[in-house]
Amino acid sequence: MRSLLADLIARAAERDPDFLALSGDHGYALFDPIRKDRPGQFLNVGVMEQAMVGIAAGLCKQGFRPMLYGLSAFVPIRVLEQIKLDVCFPGLPVIFVGDGAGLVYSTLGASHQCGEDVAALRPLPNIRIYSPCDAEELRACWREILGRRGPCYLRVGKSDRPAVHQSPLQGTEPHFTHQVESSKTCLVAHGSMAVAATERGRAMRLPVLSVPRVKPLGDAPAALLRPFSNIIVLEEHSRHGGLASALAELFCGMPPPAPRIRAVALEDKFAARCGSYQYALSEHRMADHQLEARIGELLD
Amino acid sequence: MATADDRRLDPRTLRRHIVRMASAGNSVHLGCAFSVVEIMAVLYSRFLAAGPDVAGSPDRDYMILSKGHGVMAMYACFREIGRLPQEALDRYFSDGSLLHGLCEWTVPGCEVTTGSMGHGLPIAAGVALGLKRRGRTDRKVYCLVGDGEMNEGPMWEALLFAAHHQLDNLIVILDANGFQAMGPTSAVLNLEPLAAKFRGFGFETRECGGHDAAALEENIRALTENKSGTAPKALIARTVKGKGVSFMEGNNDWHYLRLDAETKARALSELGGADA
Repeated sequence: MRSLLADLIARAAERDPDFLALSGDHGYALFDPIRKDRPGQFLNVGVMEQAMVGIAAGLCKQGFRPMLYGLSAFVPIRVLEQIKLDVCFPGLPVIFVGDGAGLVYSTLGASHQCGEDVAALRPLPNIRIYSPCDAEELRACWREILGRRGPCYLRVGKSDRPAVHQSPLQGTEPHFTHQVESSKTCLVAHGSMAVAATERGRAMRLPVLSVPRVKPLGDAPAALLRPFSNIIVLEEHSRHGGLASALAELFCGMPPPAPRIRAVALEDKFAARCGSYQYALSEHRMADHQLEARIGELLD
Repeated sequence: MATADDRRLDPRTLRRHIVRMASAGNSVHLGCAFSVVEIMAVLYSRFLAAGPDVAGSPDRDYMILSKGHGVMAMYACFREIGRLPQEALDRYFSDGSLLHGLCEWTVPGCEVTTGSMGHGLPIAAGVALGLKRRGRTDRKVYCLVGDGEMNEGPMWEALLFAAHHQLDNLIVILDANGFQAMGPTSAVLNLEPLAAKFRGFGFETRECGGHDAAALEENIRALTENKSGTAPKALIARTVKGKGVSFMEGNNDWHYLRLDAETKARALSELGGADA
């Protein structure tokens, strides 16, 4: 997925001479293709994420299309106010890419881990939030982002998991990656957890809904989830303010009966110990080997 | 390029607008607006094209008020150059009115949203870079910053960036009034020597009295017309917070104080405008 993102960035630069990739001294190999093919459209501004957002906003005034890259711990978390005032308020077409979202940097600790980016951005007017789970979802999200003239956030989490989709998607609407007839329970997920959920769904004969566009959700998830009485949301994000919260808010505004909605998500705590990605997930009881039992507890 | 008729941008006229606006809206931040009046008047009468059609034109020079707390001075200039009707000033802070107490991009000519400090200069650097990449080498970006605002980290990030990328089309004007919200800058967080700091960051830097229109014009012109180097420009304008009204000058309380009938009448009387 990362090599695809590198390629998509380079091709966006080829197609649009106003596309400018800005990085706060992060990214390494991700920018190899654009630096090779369109070196003038890549700018490493230095380790200054805050000013980078303002600089991107200023470039928009001259018609440029900035893509702003950082680890999600920094973009958007460190620069949330700059995103709010400099970009979201005037609705500028800046693309934010937050890499390493969730617990990807398990060995580096709290400074590089990020379970709060979706919650932080969701209340900001004008911004869209995308969290693709594999290459096909990334392609669909990227296509929609490039076609949109407003702020977008692309959440890139654990990106080396197996692909869920084998063929191209039409768009970023929520869709079932695994269908089972007459199940009361449905798993719902975005990003890395859509991969894990699809694996568990197949093994446990549960349907799985993937939601690559987390904001705006629209009413589609409500219609798709209406047949189920039990929703289990899996997300590598805090249980506060992410997709589980968004779905709960959605059903709050719908006529009853609403399904029961519960989250398998990051708990309200920082990482206690150092270890592998799966170890870091295990501190929240969401490692691959724990998911079956965890979901089992939540089946009606 | 047609600039505004400078008789319209008479500092006393502008300050009277500010007093009447602040009174109408029961607004604070008079001192912050008064210290930038001459700087704004010189920019709008000598350096920036005026007229309602200029705001939003892709081929404009940019005026970015990083120090959003001085926005009443900008509104006063907009009134005089025809960008805002008198009614907009008269209705300051009334329900459903256009103008907020800090700079917002939604007002034509205001460009950016500031008031949270440290936002305007990075945006100005981005505009300056964009202009250079477009080859619009004759266009300038003026960015008016506060000295208290220089406490903010992104300001120094932007200075590094501007120098590294040789943004010689960026002119930073620093309103050095010596105060910030809660006290003298020298007591809260010392910024001096300001000019040496800007020079150390690679800026071509000048310094002058910030209420002396002739000196401001001469120094800004010297900076903008120097084509010999690639350095971004800075003017440290030494100003007085509350300038123009005796009981406000150098009295930092007028960052927060509001006018009553008596102080309004005294202020207007000193500014040469009797008011009903």
